[in-house]
Amino acid sequence: MDSHSASSAGASPGLTHWGWQFGPVAGWAAPALLVAVGYYLAARVGFAFTLQPYPISTLWPPNALLLAALLLAPTRAWWWLLAAALPAHLLVELQSGVPVAMVLGWFVSNCSEALIGAGLVRAFVPGPLRLDSLRNAGVFLFGAAFIAPLVSSFLDAALVSLIGWGERGYWDLLRTRIFSNTLAGLTVAPLILTWASIEVSRLRTARLVRYGEAAALFAGLLTTCMVVFDLPQIDPHTAPALFYAPLPFLVWAALRFGPAGTASAIAVMVVATIFGTVNGLGPFAGSTPQETAREMQLFLSAVAVPMLLLAVVLDERARVELDAREQRLQLTHLSRVAMLGELSGGIAHELNQPLTAILSNAQAAQHLIADKSADPEILVEILRDIIAADQRAGEVIRRLRTLFKRGETQFEALDANELVHEVLGIVHGDLVTRSVEVAPELAAALPKIHGDRVELEQVMLNLVMNACDAMAGVAPERRRLSVRTRAVDVADGAVQISFADCGPGFTPEQYARLFEPFYTTKPRGLGLGLSISSAIIRSHRGRLWGSSSPGKGASFHMVLPSLSSKGR
Amino acid sequence: MSSARACVSVIDDDALVLRSLDRLLQSRGFDVRTYSSPRTFLEQREGDSPGCIVVDLSMPGLSGLEVQQALAGAADRRPVVFISGRCSVEASVQAMKAGAVDFLTKPFDETELVEAVRAAIEKDRASREGLAERATINLRLATLTPRERDVLGRVVTGKLNKQIAAELGTAEKTVKVHRARMMRKMQFDSLAALVRAWTVTQPPPPALPQA
Repeated sequence: MDSHSASSAGASPGLTHWGWQFGPVAGWAAPALLVAVGYYLAARVGFAFTLQPYPISTLWPPNALLLAALLLAPTRAWWWLLAAALPAHLLVELQSGVPVAMVLGWFVSNCSEALIGAGLVRAFVPGPLRLDSLRNAGVFLFGAAFIAPLVSSFLDAALVSLIGWGERGYWDLLRTRIFSNTLAGLTVAPLILTWASIEVSRLRTARLVRYGEAAALFAGLLTTCMVVFDLPQIDPHTAPALFYAPLPFLVWAALRFGPAGTASAIAVMVVATIFGTVNGLGPFAGSTPQETAREMQLFLSAVAVPMLLLAVVLDERARVELDAREQRLQLTHLSRVAMLGELSGGIAHELNQPLTAILSNAQAAQHLIADKSADPEILVEILRDIIAADQRAGEVIRRLRTLFKRGETQFEALDANELVHEVLGIVHGDLVTRSVEVAPELAAALPKIHGDRVELEQVMLNLVMNACDAMAGVAPERRRLSVRTRAVDVADGAVQISFADCGPGFTPEQYARLFEPFYTTKPRGLGLGLSISSAIIRSHRGRLWGSSSPGKGASFHMVLPSLSSKGR
Repeated sequence: MSSARACVSVIDDDALVLRSLDRLLQSRGFDVRTYSSPRTFLEQREGDSPGCIVVDLSMPGLSGLEVQQALAGAADRRPVVFISGRCSVEASVQAMKAGAVDFLTKPFDETELVEAVRAAIEKDRASREGLAERATINLRLATLTPRERDVLGRVVTGKLNKQIAAELGTAEKTVKVHRARMMRKMQFDSLAALVRAWTVTQPPPPALPQA
């Protein structure tokens, strides 16, 4: 537990933080360089995805890359990052023989898309964006992947028309631009954003099976995509059905690999599809290249949006559940520690007994040896007693350490009688100082139960202490706690453990509220014991209930399924 | 009675502790008797013999405080030293109020225990000696005639023979004779010794009410 949280706090979560902790210039140099290199490579990819002879790519990643970089960076670093992209832009565009005015115009429109998208998102989600909640994902999809390409495409198409590059009309250009930029916003930006927020330590500590599963997923997805999108079309009538073939893999990614896995899977599918379409293969074959590209872009966008949202929602829910479980564990642990605190007097007694025996024995031995009157036989006995006392003290510490420990629930086969012995060992000192006599009636040959040792001991400890508190007003010689274990005939075996006191008992009205959190009949109780106990027993698929007859005390019983009935 | 050796009775339900205290006290030269529960002690206790009692405060069944009460009820005047594995203020106050000699918290050093036991035995010895002296003096007092008693009662309050004679309505000479006989029977040769012995036999002043 501890090592995990320490390492996650220490590891830098990918791109999000690195660089910006350092000085104002040196700190931005690394991300700026990264953006420049990334922009160059992304533009090369964009060119490769161009449907000839038109100078418009089916997927134009540089804008989305800029967008993602801005979303991850603090606002004050934005101008640096945009400036860093300029040399890369010039380098890649001037090679392709486009007029300088057009090259600069495109840089302006590219930057405007990134700025509009990042500005819109930042207005609603301050700080570096993480796609870890439905709200963040919604803001991103609407602001950065839809509005920004839409608005900037007007500017882009206008610039192209103004400069007179190419022969197509304004609206035609605009349409192509919007779809191309939207698809990039939906696939490239989430890919960068999700991978940037991944904790490196989690990748490193992941089990080999996980990597195997990821490999199987991506191999399956790639194969399917290649069969569906990269082979010559066999029969036009099967095409609509074939579109669904990669879907199981995307759902698999969303269920098991979170937003980063899903964004990666979408990227694989997008690349495979575009590759096929650019090479004239696969099901997308419209009458014109523009139509072909639009069909494909619409299809890919329609798949990407729900899959990303699904992954984010699942991820968010898993995180909430994890938090809730962590909180429950914490609460259980805290109430256990508080209970042990109440027992501290009795525990001190349990430790002081063997310590007294050790000290007195050792001092007696000193005198016997000094007097030279020592019978070696007595010295041997003394040593034997010292060892026994020491072992007893060690046993007290061991029991305590088990209960103080805070960890994940661990189910194992347990002997109910042994648990009772352990618990009575822990409270022995307390029982003695409160003059409570214990009468255990433990059935022999009980079936093993399936449970978490610490949690079940906590429940028993709680019931024993409640019983002792209930008997505070009873005359000391009549304070009696009976503890019973027995096998009960529920289907294929269960074990019942009962604790009965001779206190005043409880009324039906009190019983109705007994298991509520914060309800207590004790002057200084927190009222959490029984509510936590019943939650623990429920998680063991058991039952915890109480019974009382007026003037004859109260009993609490827990029934736990035996190991043989597990999983039914 | 006073010639019997003092004996320390130790009561603790924990066998390991009981044996270790037995060994320690024996190694320091005490006579020790051990009891593993308050009940066995109350059943087998050696009557009101010289010595003291070392008892664990918290034991199942009867507690140390209840042992103390039972002893008081049985007119067993032996001083009690409490030992306890848990330091409870209420219990120690209660024990000390009930006349415990000492209250030791486990684990204690041998010097603490030995000093407490010595003090308890000393207290026991003193109270026993006081008792013995009182008994002797009472025996002697019984041999006095009523007239000699009258004289004694006035002598110890510091009256002169002349005053005594006047009060009793006899001659001063007669008073002198009674006084000499009384002193001989009481076996004292000084007035001071007589006055001291007289005070020992008198009942103590009533105890102050407890707060």
